[in-house]
Amino acid sequence: MSGLLILLVFLLLGGVLQQFLHLPVPASIIGMLLLLLALIVRGSAPSSLKQITSVLSPLLPLFLIPVSVGIVTQKASLQEHGLALLAILAISIIPGALVSAVIMSRGRKRG
Amino acid sequence: MISTLLHTPLFWAALTIAAFLAGQQLYRITGNNAFLPPILTGIVLVVCALESSGVSYSVYMEGGGYLHMMLGPVVVMLAVPLFQFLHTMRKQWLRIVLAISLGSATTVLCAVALTWWWIGDEAIVITMHSKSITTPVAVAITEQVGGISALASAFVIITGILGALMIPPLLRMTRMNDEQTLGLTLGICAHAIGTSRALELGPQQSAYAAMAMTLTATLHALVLPWVIRLW
Repeated sequence: MSGLLILLVFLLLGGVLQQFLHLPVPASIIGMLLLLLALIVRGSAPSSLKQITSVLSPLLPLFLIPVSVGIVTQKASLQEHGLALLAILAISIIPGALVSAVIMSRGRKRG
Repeated sequence: MISTLLHTPLFWAALTIAAFLAGQQLYRITGNNAFLPPILTGIVLVVCALESSGVSYSVYMEGGGYLHMMLGPVVVMLAVPLFQFLHTMRKQWLRIVLAISLGSATTVLCAVALTWWWIGDEAIVITMHSKSITTPVAVAITEQVGGISALASAFVIITGILGALMIPPLLRMTRMNDEQTLGLTLGICAHAIGTSRALELGPQQSAYAAMAMTLTATLHALVLPWVIRLW
């Protein structure tokens, strides 16, 4: 349970910092970076945190279903643009994948 | 009686969990088919339930909100795997950071430019920025910058499915399919769904994919809100 408390405390810290500094970055991301910083300073992840991670990770997709179901409110825009959006998503993967792969495999050959 | 049930928040929370479990079963039965990630089946089942019962999304969300609330702590939790990957990437960090930032910038810019050109709707263009980052982060950013979070989630899931299907053959054709490159590229362009595809390809691929996915999400979360303000 203390792992969950750690997550909530850092989420809260992220929210406070976001309000205080008027950052456009989501509170949860600020909380994540603060936690990452804390882990780096500490040098290792406490076992309670590792435990909650292994419990919550497989459930992640479940937590995303409610917001995704919101697609029912977007019927009009999907009817109008659905195919174009699908094509855009498919096409845009190719240049991105090639750029990442070239950088990664070039570097390897030299190194 | 049924109408009371349909307006009970807990009913919809329970139905969402049941739909997800059914999705996991289907995924397992079909031999981990990349076309059928459990989240997709779950969404389709809940959407069908809403459509056939005529219950509105806002009524659904009174129950769905219980689960949605967990997204905040789950995003914070991503620090744990990221911390574990820092060690692995120490030797190649420059190459990895370059591949992640330039690769993901390329795919996002292409998508945004095409959307602008073909569709031109401002809210959709803003939403398209988050298509390559893992869904919880994409939803958080989209809510922050004024896009449509329901569409963001759909874009991310479709990108993941397409990426997991297209990237392995694409890299095989261009002969860049060594384990680390393949894993990294799957993580950058196909986030969590790409990462679960990488898990089937091997441990190296899967570690690099998970690392690339988390780093891409972090980078985008930090940069996108400022970029979108500039437009």
